[in-house]
Amino acid sequence: MTSRHAASGRTRTDRWLSLNGWFVFAFLYLPILVVIVFSFSGAANVGTWGGFSLRWYRRLAGNEQLLASLENSLWVALYSTIVATVFGTAAALALDRYRRWASRGTFDAILYLPVIIPDVTMAVMLLLWFTQIGLPLGRASIILAHIAFNISFVAIVVRARLAHMDSSMEEAAADLYATRWQTFRRVTLPLIMPGVLGGALLALTLSLDDVVITSFVQGPGSTTLPVHVFGLIRRSVTPEINAVSTLMVTASMILVFSSLAIQRRGEN
Amino acid sequence: MTLTDERKPSEEEAANPELERGAERREAWRGFLHAVPAYAYLIVFFVLPLVIVFVFSFASRGRTGRPLLEDWNVDGWARLTDPLVRTIVGRSLLVAVMNTVFCLVIGYAFAYWIATRRKQSTRTLLLILVLIPFWSNFLVRTYAWRMLLDSDGYITQLGEFTGLWGRTLFTLPAVFLGLLYGYLPFMVLPLYAAIERIDWSLVEAGRDLYASGVKAFLRITLPLSRPGIIAGSILVFVPSLGAYVTPDILGGAKTTLLGNFIVTQFGAARNWPFGSALSGAILIVMLLATILYFRTGGRTV
Amino acid sequence: MTASTAAVGIHGVTKRFGEDVVAVDDIDLEIQDGEFFSLLGPSGCGKTTTLRMIAGLEYPTAGSIRIFGEEMGLRPPNKRPINTVFQSYALFPHMNVEDNIGFGLRMQKVEKAEVSSRVGEAIDLVRLTGLNSRRPGELSGGQQQRVALARALVNRPKVLLLDEPLGALDLKLRQTMQLELKDIQSNVGITFVYVTHDQEEALTMSDRIGVMNHGQLVQVGRSEDIYEFPSNMFVAGFVGEMSFLPGEVVETGSVRLAGGEVVRARTDSSPGTSITLILRPEKLHLYGEVSEVPPGRNVLNGSVSRRTFYGNSLSYEVELGASGSFDVQVENVPSQTRWDVGDKVVIDFHHEAASALAE
Ligand SMILES: Nc1ncnc2c1ncn2[C@@H]1O[C@H](COP(=O)(O)OP(=O)(O)OP(=O)(O)O)[C@@H](O)[C@H]1O
Ligand SMILES: [Mg+2]
Repeated sequence: MTSRHAASGRTRTDRWLSLNGWFVFAFLYLPILVVIVFSFSGAANVGTWGGFSLRWYRRLAGNEQLLASLENSLWVALYSTIVATVFGTAAALALDRYRRWASRGTFDAILYLPVIIPDVTMAVMLLLWFTQIGLPLGRASIILAHIAFNISFVAIVVRARLAHMDSSMEEAAADLYATRWQTFRRVTLPLIMPGVLGGALLALTLSLDDVVITSFVQGPGSTTLPVHVFGLIRRSVTPEINAVSTLMVTASMILVFSSLAIQRRGEN
Repeated sequence: MTLTDERKPSEEEAANPELERGAERREAWRGFLHAVPAYAYLIVFFVLPLVIVFVFSFASRGRTGRPLLEDWNVDGWARLTDPLVRTIVGRSLLVAVMNTVFCLVIGYAFAYWIATRRKQSTRTLLLILVLIPFWSNFLVRTYAWRMLLDSDGYITQLGEFTGLWGRTLFTLPAVFLGLLYGYLPFMVLPLYAAIERIDWSLVEAGRDLYASGVKAFLRITLPLSRPGIIAGSILVFVPSLGAYVTPDILGGAKTTLLGNFIVTQFGAARNWPFGSALSGAILIVMLLATILYFRTGGRTV
Repeated sequence: MTASTAAVGIHGVTKRFGEDVVAVDDIDLEIQDGEFFSLLGPSGCGKTTTLRMIAGLEYPTAGSIRIFGEEMGLRPPNKRPINTVFQSYALFPHMNVEDNIGFGLRMQKVEKAEVSSRVGEAIDLVRLTGLNSRRPGELSGGQQQRVALARALVNRPKVLLLDEPLGALDLKLRQTMQLELKDIQSNVGITFVYVTHDQEEALTMSDRIGVMNHGQLVQVGRSEDIYEFPSNMFVAGFVGEMSFLPGEVVETGSVRLAGGEVVRARTDSSPGTSITLILRPEKLHLYGEVSEVPPGRNVLNGSVSRRTFYGNSLSYEVELGASGSFDVQVENVPSQTRWDVGDKVVIDFHHEAASALAE
């Protein structure tokens, strides 16, 4: 650790790195800030400041279509998160705590693919599959699709947590007369809980973010919020979109901070 | 002193290799059972759909655009050599490669900068600042650029004021910017994880041996962060190859990329077999990237 | 001594990992009730694996393990009347001291009132009174070690297994804990099976020691016997300091060294056998002149080739010419002459202090 200092010495390189660093932060944050600021502008024209106003938020509150899509989104996120968290956690246990079962390597690879696959490809795959097996497109098909990509993300997060947890904890529990279930319930689960919750929050976020896959596998009336907003954006840029966007970013921030708070608590 | 007891256990009392193997088998079986829900789910809702994409890519186009599972043909794949399609595929590859390179260069310097801050608390804080945009809605983040790049957007106004550029919305540079913006955090996180883990005394030893900082960096730091570079590059390259939302919002008709082209096949063009072949091509690239990933032993995500 | 009375009976136990790693190689061992038994050996010799097989955390590839005569077979750890103190302690970080210690009792569905009284007793036994509601992260290494011990002892196991329980402590604390552990063991009267690679620790604490090397049990015996009468070269070299001189048996009780000197020593091989004479440095004495040596002792002439200062003692390496060299340890007391490198010296030792080990 001491030599980290050497790497961050007050050299010319380091000044360039700092400059780049702050530039990247500006790059990452300024666009979002512009959206947030203008969501509070009273002007009907997006680019001009028309004084502080909440009129676009008030307008949102009365937008039936938008509220319906929000409701869809929340249901989809809730169900897909619950299932993905349970399945993903079990998968992480299978990979980290049981090393010698037959097709473990194959499973590991399959589990990894949904993370890198482009949305469009996954969307096409699921659309073809659902139409082929005759599954009606609607809220159910959206939930099934979201579970499919969320399992992997949960498994990755939980697995990272498990990797930091010595298996002597479980051995000690077994040595102290705990059955397998008691060991899981009293020792393993409480210790990986930050990972499980972190994975669940990530799944929730991804589900609330998804546009492409949902737009492929949705049916009439089952549109989710991001898909609805995407449609609006494609048509035109309006201050109302700024307001929705601000709310969506706020929701994401709440999720990040909850996730961080949980991880932090888990470390102590 | 009893080294050996006179009463050896009888044959059937002694544990035998079969028993140990039996215990191992039962343990393996338990592991498999834990995997079953996710495994079965992914086979039904990921692997089979993946296979069916290839099946449909050989199907024929029905009157309604829906594919017919008869008259098998390779038309969909053959069309990949069409000049128009070649242009789009080439453009997408170029965009994906360029985006990966840009993300890598900027992201590396950025991740390195964070990982070399002295105080743990500073590093944590900076990392949280990266996590926030990473978790923020991708659509919203892309939308922000649409606002900035439009005729009356601030970036456009800045360009016009300095006389350097005009409206960039609906052009390829706008798509580039959007993709860089969207995928940079995906590069930074694995890179940070890899660089943070580096044992800095090795770098110091390297400086001792190679004297110049640049050489020490090239021979020690860079190779040691290879898992992060590979993971980050795959996480950026594959999704940008199939990017849809960004080019759709920030690009125009002249900047069609593979992702949009595929969507068109399932929408307006009503050519599912061709769309399947295009998706299949991306899948092949993805599978190759995965093999590369596992071969090089990177596992940092 | 019959099989049914042994607290732990290990018979023909072998453990393989995969095809080519033989961690434990055909071990036979009986540990008696109430005994403090240590498994001693270098890193990687199979001590932990042996212990884990007794605990049920690993199953033997071949052989049988019995606890008070009962065959353990594939019985899982939670069904064995045994508890373990893990090397890393393996305390549950999300539970406080009390809950950690009471875990085993709660799992066995012991009544609440009894749990709390027994936990209280255990806390007092290991002298952690007042720390009941601390989390493991808020305890020092020594305190954590005590919690681990109490967590195992509170279940009143028939056998307690300890895997290098003091390995993570500093020297001073280690020595205190050694005495304490020994006291606790004699108070509760439970059989202790103690794994260590520290020979001094094994010697001070154990009733008996089993020395392991390459997965095999190379000698089992009382601590003193292990030290005084190592039965093979490995034990001779591993336990305590030892010097080795090659030679051959002349007749019973008499050995000729490579340089031709004939000395008296303990032998049990027949005349003509090649042997190695083993000598403990602290059992040798140095003199300036032959006339100073008490009568009836072995006498060898040599010269000092190295001197090392240890504080409470000095160690001299003495060259015997063709016969080789060995170390002599001399207490640092005022009456002792100090020798310098190059000094001619006379070495004397009692014939009981030298043993001839056949190769
Ligand atoms: N799960 C395992 N898989 C493969 N090999 C193993 C496993 N556990 C132990 N071994 C090997 O078996 C041998 C004995 O290991 P063991 O842990 O019993 O040694 P030890 O005597 O306890 O050593 P130390 O003093 O270092 O703890 C070693 O060579 C080790 O590498
Ligand atoms: Mg060990």
